[in-house]
Parts: sequence; C-alpha cells; structure tokens
Amino acid sequence: MKRYLLHRLWQSLVTLLLATIVVFLGVRALPGDPALALAGEDRDPESLRAIREQYGLDDSVLVQFWRFVSHAARGDLGVSIRTGESVSSMLKSALPVTMELSLLAIAIAGVIGVGTGVVAAVQRGRPAEWAANALALLGLSVPNFWLGLMAILYLSVALGLFPASGFVPFFSDPIGNLHHLVLPALILGTGLAAVIMRQTRSSMLDALSADYIRTAEAKGLPRRAVIGRHALRNSLIVVITIVGLQLGALISGAVVTERIFALPGFGKLTVDAVFQRDYPVIQAVVLVTATAYIVINLLVDLLYSVIDPRIRVRGES
Amino acid sequence: MFGDAADAAKVKDGGTLTVALSADPDKLDPTLSRSLYSRYVFHTMCEKLYDLGPDARIVPQLATALPTIAADGLSLTIPLREGAKFADGGTLDSAAVKVSIERGLTLPASGRKSELGPIRSVETPDPKTVVIKLSKPFAPLTAALADRAGMILSPAAVSKLGANFSTAPVCVGPFKFASRVAQNSIKVVKDPLYYDAAKVHLDAIEYRIITDSSIRSANLKSGDAQVADSLSSQDAPALQKDSNMSVLQSQSLGYQGLTINVANANGVGNPLKQLDTPIAKDPRVRQALEASIDRDALVKSIFNGLNTVGCSPISPKSEFTSDAAQVCPAHDPAKAKDLLKQAGVSTPYKVSMITSNNPDSLRLAQALQAMVKEGGFDLVIKPVEYASLLDQQDRGDFELLQLGWSGRVDPDANIYNFVGTTGSQNVAGYSSPDVDKLLTDARQAKDKAQRVQLYGQVVGKLQQDDPVIYLYRQRNLTGVSKKVLGVQTYPDGVIRTAFAGFAK
Repeated sequence: MKRYLLHRLWQSLVTLLLATIVVFLGVRALPGDPALALAGEDRDPESLRAIREQYGLDDSVLVQFWRFVSHAARGDLGVSIRTGESVSSMLKSALPVTMELSLLAIAIAGVIGVGTGVVAAVQRGRPAEWAANALALLGLSVPNFWLGLMAILYLSVALGLFPASGFVPFFSDPIGNLHHLVLPALILGTGLAAVIMRQTRSSMLDALSADYIRTAEAKGLPRRAVIGRHALRNSLIVVITIVGLQLGALISGAVVTERIFALPGFGKLTVDAVFQRDYPVIQAVVLVTATAYIVINLLVDLLYSVIDPRIRVRGES
Repeated sequence: MFGDAADAAKVKDGGTLTVALSADPDKLDPTLSRSLYSRYVFHTMCEKLYDLGPDARIVPQLATALPTIAADGLSLTIPLREGAKFADGGTLDSAAVKVSIERGLTLPASGRKSELGPIRSVETPDPKTVVIKLSKPFAPLTAALADRAGMILSPAAVSKLGANFSTAPVCVGPFKFASRVAQNSIKVVKDPLYYDAAKVHLDAIEYRIITDSSIRSANLKSGDAQVADSLSSQDAPALQKDSNMSVLQSQSLGYQGLTINVANANGVGNPLKQLDTPIAKDPRVRQALEASIDRDALVKSIFNGLNTVGCSPISPKSEFTSDAAQVCPAHDPAKAKDLLKQAGVSTPYKVSMITSNNPDSLRLAQALQAMVKEGGFDLVIKPVEYASLLDQQDRGDFELLQLGWSGRVDPDANIYNFVGTTGSQNVAGYSSPDVDKLLTDARQAKDKAQRVQLYGQVVGKLQQDDPVIYLYRQRNLTGVSKKVLGVQTYPDGVIRTAFAGFAK
C-alpha cells in the first residue's frame, strides 16, 4: 500500500509540473501581451515599458518560470497585472462560488438523473422510457450557453422567478444564495443529469436481470424494496464512478455558466484573465485546477484500492 | 439627449443602484488606470479639479474657477474649494494636489505622464492655491485636469499604500470605495464626509460586470440592474419601446475609422519605412477607398441610425469644431475607379483588413466589403480578438485596420498621438512635416480661435493624405430603468450616477 501511494504521489507531481509548463508556454505563445491588453487604447511606449518592467515581463521565459514556480512553492501566487490585487485572494473568493455551484449542480443532476434513469429502466418499452430518453438526449445536445440565455429570458426576465445575475455568499444570506445559484446549477447540471440517467438506466437493466434480483423476488419481497434496496443500490456504484469522471466536464461547463449568470467564480475568472492576458491569474488558476484534479483522482484511486484490493495489487506489480 | 438630474422632491433616499458594466475596470488608481470603465467608478468616488459639463465644456469641480494662465503661458494658477474632505477624514488642500500631480508625473507605469505635458513644478503658495509651472505652453492641460490626471488622491492613503493604492482607493467624492470582487463587482457606499452630501440620495452603487450585451439588457429588463452601459445598437430599439426603460444617448468625442498602414513596417515607435504597396504609397488609392464608402448608408443600415457620420477627428460637439473641420468627402464610386486608374492599379484591388471579432465590428466589416466593391476594391476581412488586434497594430502587421478611439475633450488628444510623426499611437506610420507643424502650433496657441483655425487646416491636410479614413461617431447608448432618476451620460462617455435616486 505504501509503495502504491508513493508511486501515485510521484506521478501526480510530474503531471502537475507538466501542466504548469504547458500553460506557462501556451499563454506566452498567444499574440498580445498583458501590458498591451492592460493599456488598451490609452497606451504609450513609456508606460508599456514600465508595466513590463514592473511585472518582469521583459525577463526570459525561463527566468519568469522559475520565479513563478519558486514563489508558488512558498504559497505566493503573485498579483494580478490588471487589477493589482493578490491572486491568492482572488482565488479565495472565486473558489467557494464554483465549488458550491458544482456541488449543487451534481446534487440536482443526481436527483434528476437517477430518478429518470430508474423510471426508464423499470418502465422499459413504455412511453415513460421514451420520454426519459428524449430528455437525456436533449440534455446532452443542447449547449449550456443557449440554455442559460433561454433560462434568463424566460425564467428571469419574463416570469421574474430567479435573479438574472449576481451572487450572495451562503453565510450572509443562505436563502438568497440558493435563489441565485439554483438556475445556474440546473443549467450546469443538465449534461451531467443526462449522463447519469443513461448510466442508471443501463446499470438498472443489468441489475434487474441479475440472479440476486430473481432470488429477492422469489422470496416475495415487495417490488419497491427489490428495486430500491437491491437493484438501485448496486447500480449506483457505477453511477458514482461516472460522476467522478464527469467532474472535469463540470468545471469546463462552469466557465460558460458563470459568465452568463455573472457569477464571481473560477470559470469567469479564468476566461476574463485569458482575454486580458493576465498571466499570473491564468497560471494560478491552472495550477489550482490541475492540483484539484490530481488530488481528486488520487483520492478516488486510493478509495478504490481500499474497497477493491485487486487494484492495489495491480498497481504494485 | 441627457437625463434629468435627480429632483430631490421626486426621489427617495436610500437603496443600492446596480449598474451593469460591459467590462471589468482595471486598477482603481487614477494614476495607473487606463480603461474607460474605471472612469465610471472614479466618477462616484474621485472628484477632479475640473469636470465636463453636458455641453462638453470644462467646469470647475474641486477647483473653484478655471485656471488663470500667465501671459507667457508658462504658469497656471488654480484656486481650490474649501472644506472638502477626503473619505479618510483628511482635508483637501494644495499640498494634496501637489502630491497627486507629482505622482502622475513620476510613478513608474503612470498613465498620466504624457497627458500632463511639460510640467516643471507644482507650487503651493497657500493651502487654497496651486500654481503649475510649465517649461512650454501646453493648452490641453486644463482638459487633462478634467480627467484622471486631475483626480486628487488622499496623501495619507498614498503614503500608506504606495503603488497598491488601487486596493483601497481614497479620494474626495460622493461615494467611497467599499469592496471589489475580481472580474465581478465593485461596490461604493455613500461618503458622509462629502461636502455636498445632501445631494446624494443612494446608499450604495454596485457595478456588476456583465460582458455580453444581450445579457446586460436582459438584466436591465429583469430588474437585476437599473443601469446598463454600451448597449448594442441591436438591443437598443427594443429597450426604447419598453415603457419601463429609457435609453440615454450621448455622442462620443471619438471616432471609428480605418487606419491604413503607410510606413509602419517596423512596429510603432521604430523608424518609419514606407510599405511597398499601392495603397501605402499612393494617396490616390486611399482617396479612392474613401470615395467608395457611403457613410450615410453605413450608419443607417448597420447601426439603426443610432450612430452619426464622421469624417474627421474633430467631433461637431467639440468647442474646437469649424466648417473646415466637418468637411465630408462625397460618396462617389465612379471617382474611386477613376482614381485607381490614375494610380495605375488594376482592379479589383485586393486589400485585407483586420477587425475586432465582436458582432458589431463584423457587421460593419461586411457592409464595407460590399460597398467598396463598387469602387473597385476587393476587401478581405480578417477578424481577430481584441488583445491580438492591439498587438498586430503596434507591430505594423496589417494593411488596413478597423478600430476606433473613444475620444477626449481636447482635440489634441484625438489627433496628435495618431497622425503626428512621433505620436505614440501612429500605427499608420504617417509622417507629414506640415501636419506636425500645425499640431505643434495648435498645442502652443494661446487663444481658442487660433486653435480652431489650425485644426481646420489639419483636417484638410489629413483628407488629402488619408492615413486614417474616419467613418462614424459612436453614440454611447445607456439603458436606464424608469425607477431611477438622475442618471446622465456626458460626451466623455462616462455615465453619471452619483446624484441619482430611486423614484418615490
């Protein structure tokens, strides 16, 4: 177990370093530098030079990279070139928003996806299955930005049910917080709900035809108990794995959703930083996202190896 | 059309006004700021020595009168308002003005240095009087003091925060800085120490950044925001019909146009080198391009008539305008073909144009493409994202470029940098000793009539050489809910919200 853990940790560190290098070079390969983007129409050569000097943009990429990595290792992510704010504090305020949004989206997607999935499996061949399948197809194929726009136009502007933009922190106003987040979370969760629905349906179908279900039915258990306690429970293991794999899609989906609903989260921070060529912010965002990915993957793998010793053995061999 | 100032009898006190902004302001430091959007926020919390009236004339704000200029033009005396306090309790005096102006001149990365011109020293004979000494006469200075260069910062905050002033800016103003969430929102709250606090009705203003124009207008309609800036000319007509909304229009002092790369082969700031293409070498080809553009049709079809035709860098709203400055070359495709023939160019003449990739710019580009075809041009459109566009224009990596300038009060700031040989934004690589001389004379002229006359001559010269083909003047379209009174837009493009209030 210890060797497996060390092996996975080492792998993670290498991945992190590679991700950082790729982003560092990628961002600098884009045309237009932060000084220009910042100066916009008000630019004169002298102040461009001063900005470049102030943020070390005229140093070689190697020097800049070393500065970033060595400072990051000490927990200093620098300051935003655009606003002059500390990047750490920007991340600290953006991270909880995206985390809350994602968790809420998973919860909503889970309820909708598992619910329709079970119905589709149990009602196989009936109109309910057709309806559930059509819904899933729609959820998968309609892009978030369009769905978001429509939701704002109809649910916010026409009906006034939800606010069209803005955010209040959970601890200052829990109800207002949920009110602001439900709509974006629903939009963000649509794709995931569709995936969950399809997975639940097929796992349920497998389970329902399994021997232990027949045994349970033969014992005379009520149908609700057979489906809920036996079939669904076993199907959910696969579903949870799928949800884990879909987390990445959720993070990229949050980029679009946050922009449309003007939520002060990670996604919006990232896109705006790219448009403004705010290197320190882009680098920090990628570093944190990559770390989150790696840690989640690591945890999932470790959990697996605890649950299923076969995985651990394979990792060691 | 301007909004009405809030009538105290019609508005109630209190409430938070939400303003949907189309872009995130940059640093909230008047010395370092470079975007129009930070000026929206500064307007509510950082007053200036001078301000702009609705008619684009300069009026005193923290000063009590326009500067007294010495006969030799080398010294300006500015009397200051008494009893004004900074949001941190400090008193506004000449020493504070000195600190702010000197910071603009010396702070590395200051965006104010060139606006402030040839200042030699700032003197403080007494707390209510500031004397600015110049090494050369510099007429545009008063206008600069009516913008960020004239915003007075709290000396205590400056010495405490230094270059980090933007994290907690302190000035004199109806509101003071409260908080900022990066890329998302900025909040200012009423400042009880403000000298004219009785005129302030709102408790707070929240600027919420919403970059997509249709979502901005959706927020306005849903009531999540009461003010939205930079409406698209596509969304504005629907809002104008909405009985709960009004759309404020103010004509900008800037322009939108086409810049032709004449001799910017090495990048702006480097020695000029004539490009070896007909359009760069021969003014007749550029005149032909101008003659093939129907500005009226452009404004009507693309912008629903919400923008106005513009043929020179001087807005008809400017006090420096004249008949000569508003001359407009006629739309004449036959003449265009003729000019191309004279220049010995075979038609269709292929020329590529870089432009911003936003929907409005793209529609403009397509309309231009169709129009100039008739004059014998084959226009190839190359859309690029804004940061790349700036990069390409400064490197001189373009043939034709469509971009605009938001405009300043003083005409010098709308011309010199763009077509002066040493201009910092002379991306055309244009150089004309005649124009340079006229512009320098206008800078140093002592009376307005003389400047008006000189700028008229500049326009005539520019229309012959055509390094820039001016197309139209944007109108700033601001959506405002009828629940709010007293929001105004001025020709400097800044939305005035400080003295607004919610209707009773």
